[in-house]
Amino acid sequence: MIAPADSETHARVIEFTNVGLRYGHGPEILKDLSFRIQPGSFHFLTGPSGSGKTSLLRLLLLSLKPSRGTVRMFDRDVGNLDQDALLDMRRHIGIVFQEFRLLEHLTTFENVALPLRVRGEPESVYRSNVSELLEWVGLGERMEALPALLSGGEKQRAAIARAVIGRPDILLADEPTGNVDPELSLRLVRLFAELNKLGTTIILATHELPLLDAFDFPRMALTDGRVVIDG
Amino acid sequence: MAETTIEVTVETTRAPSQKRSAPIVPERSVAGRTLMLLIAIMTFLSGVTLGGVVLVQKSAIAWSSDVGREITIQIRPVEGEVMESNIRTAIALAEATPGVVSAHALSLADSEKLLEPWLGAGLDLSAIEIPRLIVVELGDPHDVDLSLLERDLANIKGASLETHAAWRQQLNTMAGTIVFSGLLVLTLIVLATVLAVVFATRGTMASNREIVDVLHFIGASNSFIAGEFQGRFLALGFRGGLLGGVGAVLFFFLVAGAAGSIAPDAASAQLGFLFGRFSLGLDGITGIIAVVPVIAALTAITSRLTVRRFLSQTS
Repeated sequence: MIAPADSETHARVIEFTNVGLRYGHGPEILKDLSFRIQPGSFHFLTGPSGSGKTSLLRLLLLSLKPSRGTVRMFDRDVGNLDQDALLDMRRHIGIVFQEFRLLEHLTTFENVALPLRVRGEPESVYRSNVSELLEWVGLGERMEALPALLSGGEKQRAAIARAVIGRPDILLADEPTGNVDPELSLRLVRLFAELNKLGTTIILATHELPLLDAFDFPRMALTDGRVVIDG
Repeated sequence: MAETTIEVTVETTRAPSQKRSAPIVPERSVAGRTLMLLIAIMTFLSGVTLGGVVLVQKSAIAWSSDVGREITIQIRPVEGEVMESNIRTAIALAEATPGVVSAHALSLADSEKLLEPWLGAGLDLSAIEIPRLIVVELGDPHDVDLSLLERDLANIKGASLETHAAWRQQLNTMAGTIVFSGLLVLTLIVLATVLAVVFATRGTMASNREIVDVLHFIGASNSFIAGEFQGRFLALGFRGGLLGGVGAVLFFFLVAGAAGSIAPDAASAQLGFLFGRFSLGLDGITGIIAVVPVIAALTAITSRLTVRRFLSQTS
C-alpha cells in the first residue's frame, strides 16, 4: 500500500526568494516571487492562461533555472547544485501533465513502473508495488493495456500513478483535469487529496472554478507574473 | 472539502504476466530499416575493400616469394670463350653455393624462344651467338650467400647474376600502394558510416523528443537515456553489419567461382597467378567477419556520443 511520505519531509520546505524568470532576452514571465510552501500542504495554483503557471511548475520541477533570485527546495539552494544532485532531487518530485504524456508503446504497467526502472530497480522487486498502486487507482484490470486503449480518465490515473510510484515528497500537477469531464475531474482531485493525506506536498495548477470551489485548499494565484497565496 | 470515495485497501492484486518489459526506445522509432540497410551497405563495402587488400597483399607476398626463390645467371658470348664450358662451370659454381637447390641451363631453343617477342618468330639465329641463361632455384632465399656466388661468377668472362631485386622492389611498391589505397578507402567508408549514424541518431532523438522529455521528468540520468538509445543502435549496427559482412564473404565466393568457370582455362590460370584464384583464405574471411562487431561497436559508440551531446545541449 502507499505509505506516508518520509517523516524527514516535514523538515523541508519550498522557498522562493525574489525569483524572476525570463526566456532568453524576452520580458520577465515571473516577477519577484517570494513564498514558502510547507511540507504536506496542498495548494491550488491558479491564474489565467499565460500567467506563468507552467513556468512556475517547471521551476519547481527543476527543469528551469531562475533568471534571478533564490529557489530553495528540501533546505538546499538549487542554484548551487550540480547535475547529479539536481537529478537526485528531481526523483523526490513527481509531475502530472494535462496531456498525460504516457509512452504510447508501453503498457499501463510499464508506464507506471518507468520511474523505478530508470532507477535500476529490478522488476521482481517493484512488480507487486506497481500492481498494488494500479489497483489503488482503479486500473487493476488495465495493466496490460496500451495508452491508446485507455479512456482520458484512465490515462490520467495512470499518469498520476506514474508520478507517485517513486513516493515523491512533492507532487506537481499541470492542469491534470483539463482533458476529462467535470465528474472525473472531481474524482481525480480527490485522488490527489488522498495522496496528500499520506504526506505528499501537492501543487495542482488549474483554472477550473468548480474544482476550486469544491475543495477547501489554499490557492496560489498568479497574475501578471506575481503570486499571491491565500488561505 | 469534498469527501473521498476512493477505496484504499486492496486485498488482492493481479500482477501482469511475467513477460520481459518492452524497450523504452521503441524499435520502429529508430529510423530502423533505412539505417540498417545503410550499415549493411557500408559493411559490405568495407568487407570487399578489406578482402581486396588481403588478396593483393597475399598475391604480392606469393609473387615476391616465387620470384625470390629463383635467380638467373646470364652468360654472354665472349670472343675466345667456350660458351658450353662456361655454362657447365657456372652451373657447378651455383650448385656448390650453400642454399641452392638446383641449377639448369635453358636450352638454345628455349633461349631463342625468349627473343621471339622482340625479334619475331621463324628467324634463323644460328649465325649469331645469343646469351644463355641458367635458372638457379633457391631453397630459403635468406640462407643463400649471393655475394659468394657473384664473386665466383666473376671468374667466368661474360657471366653476370640477376637476382630480380629491382623487379621485386617494384612489385612490393605497387602492392604497398594498393594496400595503402585500400586502407584509405576503408577509413573513408568508416568515416561515412560514422557521419550517417550521427545524422540518423540526431533524427531519432528529434523524433523521440517526447520520450526523452518524459524520461528527464521522471528523473532519468543522461547516462541512462544514452544507454537506452545505444542499446537500440548496437542491435541495429550488429544486424546491419552481419548482413553486409555475410554479403561480402559471399561476394568473394561467387567471384572466385565465376572466375573459375567463366574465364577460359588459360585466362583463368593467369588470373589465378595474379590474384591467387580470389581465395581469401581463413584469415581474409576472419578479417571480414571481424568488421561486423567493429561496425556494430562503432555504431553504438557514435550514437552514444551523439545522444549525450544532444542531451547536454537540451537538458
